[in-house]
Amino acid sequence: MELAPAAQIFAFAVLAIIAVAGALGMATTMSMFRSGIFLMASFIGVAGLFILLMADLLGMLQIMMYIGGMLVMILFMVLFSDDPGGQMMVGMMKRGTMKMSRIEMLFSRGISPDRGSENMGGEGHMEHGEMSGMSMFTPIKKQAAVLALLAAALLIGLILARPAWPVVDRLPDQNSPGQIGTLLMGKYMIAFEGAGLLILLGIFASVMISRPAEYPDPSDRERLQAAVAENPAPVEPDTIQPILELEPREEDKA
Amino acid sequence: MIAVPLNAFLVVSALLFAIGLYVALAERTAVMVLMGIETILNAVGLNIVAFWRYVQPGDYSGQIFAIIIITIGAIEMAVGLGIMMLLYRRRQTVQVDKYDSLRG
Repeated sequence: MELAPAAQIFAFAVLAIIAVAGALGMATTMSMFRSGIFLMASFIGVAGLFILLMADLLGMLQIMMYIGGMLVMILFMVLFSDDPGGQMMVGMMKRGTMKMSRIEMLFSRGISPDRGSENMGGEGHMEHGEMSGMSMFTPIKKQAAVLALLAAALLIGLILARPAWPVVDRLPDQNSPGQIGTLLMGKYMIAFEGAGLLILLGIFASVMISRPAEYPDPSDRERLQAAVAENPAPVEPDTIQPILELEPREEDKA
Repeated sequence: MIAVPLNAFLVVSALLFAIGLYVALAERTAVMVLMGIETILNAVGLNIVAFWRYVQPGDYSGQIFAIIIITIGAIEMAVGLGIMMLLYRRRQTVQVDKYDSLRG
């Protein structure tokens, strides 16, 4: 069953705005944590577009995989960054050492700036080169923005200039999970199994890569164990007194 | 017949692609570069599903491609996280332009 045309256009407009504005916010906000949340909004918008295109299984998969899995990883990785909340960047902007474009200000609104020289170890005055070394952007930020705008203009121009696609006026099968499952287990078996193998290799690779480079020396461990057995640390007595006797309840007395 | 034209979906996808390209080039933190790549993959998936719906709605191969893309994205994210944690442990920084020991 399809929605009425007006409802379809309305849903498309809302979801497309969520997707694009989320991605734009992700790109421009100073706070990395906000970037993750904006990215989630963008994923939700794209999932809604999938559902509007009647690919309901993919919409669900998008929400489960990207938002349930990858976003957790992203927010975990944000913990490693120097300035996850963007306070340093906003503080630098307030002190005039760095310029922010208007859209970056819009998406960074409400981030409280840091105190400045206190957080920088009391050095106070910093050279301009050091300042740009602390920025979260590469030096080619302007060129990247121009390149991205050119790419967008080129792609949209190509899309609009091309003659119409051979669009088919037909509804897809309602049972799309069944169809996809049949294809995955039949025609695309090799791709399915290959993806499974790839996931396994990916798990192995990431465990191998991120394991600690050096383990402590086992002989040292034995020596420490012997030292602890010889002279165990005193155990602190528990200060909470155990309840020895319970008051008999009223109904038990009766 | 779906009321929204195919070109509207393609334009949204092109915008997402351009934003992802900008993020992957302009940001210095490894996390943000990965976020840009995820946005690009999302744009590709949206493109594929839109073409499936409008041009070939009877053949579900397009959705299989989208599923494979999501899988690749998940693996890329996991391996990227592993590499980033290793580099952080070695260099105490997550900024990608500090990882320049292979520069000639």
